[in-house]
Amino acid sequence: MPGIYSLWIVGRNGGLLYSRDFVQLPPIEFNDKLRLASSWFGMCGISAQLSPMPDSSGIQLLQADTFDLHSFHTLTGTTFMLLAEPQTPDAAELLRTTVYELYCDYVLKNPFHEMDQVIKSELFDQNVVALLQATNRRWGVGLPPQ
Amino acid sequence: MFQSKYGSTGIVDKPFRPGKQEVALSAFAYLFSELVQYCQSRVSNISELERKLDEVGYGVGLRLLEVLAYRERGQRRETRLLDMLKFVHSTLWRYLFGRQARDLEQSNTAEDEYMISDTDLFVTKFVSVPREMGHLNPAAFVAGIVRGALDGAGFPARVTAHYVPVQGQPRPKTVILMKFQNYQAIMQRDKQQ
Amino acid sequence: MPCFTFYIFNRKGACQYYHEWQRLKPVRSGAGSQEEDFKLMFGLFWSMRALSSALDPKNPAKQQMGAPQRIGDGCSFNSFRTSAYKLHFLESPSGLKFVLTTDPSVGSLAEALQYIYASLFVELVAKNPLYSPGEPFLFEPFSAALNKYMRTLGLLS
Repeated sequence: MPGIYSLWIVGRNGGLLYSRDFVQLPPIEFNDKLRLASSWFGMCGISAQLSPMPDSSGIQLLQADTFDLHSFHTLTGTTFMLLAEPQTPDAAELLRTTVYELYCDYVLKNPFHEMDQVIKSELFDQNVVALLQATNRRWGVGLPPQ
Repeated sequence: MFQSKYGSTGIVDKPFRPGKQEVALSAFAYLFSELVQYCQSRVSNISELERKLDEVGYGVGLRLLEVLAYRERGQRRETRLLDMLKFVHSTLWRYLFGRQARDLEQSNTAEDEYMISDTDLFVTKFVSVPREMGHLNPAAFVAGIVRGALDGAGFPARVTAHYVPVQGQPRPKTVILMKFQNYQAIMQRDKQQ
Repeated sequence: MPCFTFYIFNRKGACQYYHEWQRLKPVRSGAGSQEEDFKLMFGLFWSMRALSSALDPKNPAKQQMGAPQRIGDGCSFNSFRTSAYKLHFLESPSGLKFVLTTDPSVGSLAEALQYIYASLFVELVAKNPLYSPGEPFLFEPFSAALNKYMRTLGLLS
């Protein structure tokens, strides 16, 4: 059954700016989250460096046994990570268009947001949760924790 | 001297009445965001920030009254309070936001207070006010525009912007509260006309 | 020719076998030296493995991050891809790591790697008396069989 588990946003220096689960998941400690985010950031850099072909981007998709991790790198170096059920259709597309658009609108246009600082924008949070929950509902995935 | 030397039209050769001119919402949002940040770097508390935004809006309002009175009213401006309020509620709002404001009403508690309320002002569309900033409403800028227009027309008032939660709606509405100075004098003047 | 390079690492992280069919970006402009390339590659999938088991959304009894992981424990990963290549990964029960990089458009090669491990490596390397476990090797029959298998997969012309 397809479904979207969580969304993380990593800043230009590898810091975790935003993370949110959309279904009930086994909890990850906050410090571990910070470490995972920055190690993902590092892995993306190394994978581009080790590429056997020229002009490689960072990692776009990691396929693990129990999940897919879609990753999208903006031109300015922010990284979006979307954890989803394997074979979830359109997840990459969702990240690259709709989620990124919400980020541009409700985070970058918010005068109280500072670049590479933790995202506190309520409107962004509300809109992302509404969007991804609606997507999950379409696939019949259960309701979120709160 | 304002004529361009390449033969294209200079700024003074352009007609004073342009057609409908719209700007991209994104462009405005970025500009407004920078404005708020600029003001924020120059103040030490929330009410000062609100006042600063209000001051910027004041200049805009004063100039807008001028241009709208010329364009829409054939060089006449309103002299009665109610007409002026309607001018703000419809003409000014339509120029700024492309539509009329939702409501215009007189306060129940004080007769010298009027309120214009609206949801979804695009000034605040992308702005999330952090919790530690409490009651701040970035529509203070719009309040400033209204104050400028009213002041220019001879109705000095104290204008403030507030968030008011609406039942069953996720987003609060914005209420622009206008408290007129010398309300009695204004009323008398209205009667004499 | 959509397959690029192939690595086998022993359980301690040393590269035992390396072959490249095509590498348009030389190691020099990537990791610097071949040694360094092996080290970084091992570090990359090692941390990727740790990340996969830490992120695993279906295992409520996860280990503390950074705790030593036994071979085969927790959630592993099959592949990742960038705009330029796709890396396929397989860890054998004995801790050998098989890594194959191909064109990003190639589908899942989990079964192919399994075949390379079970039918090529075990038959032609592990059973070869000259092979000492964990040491680099260069056996002509294995290389030939690997090339032949890649051709049958259509990854090599």
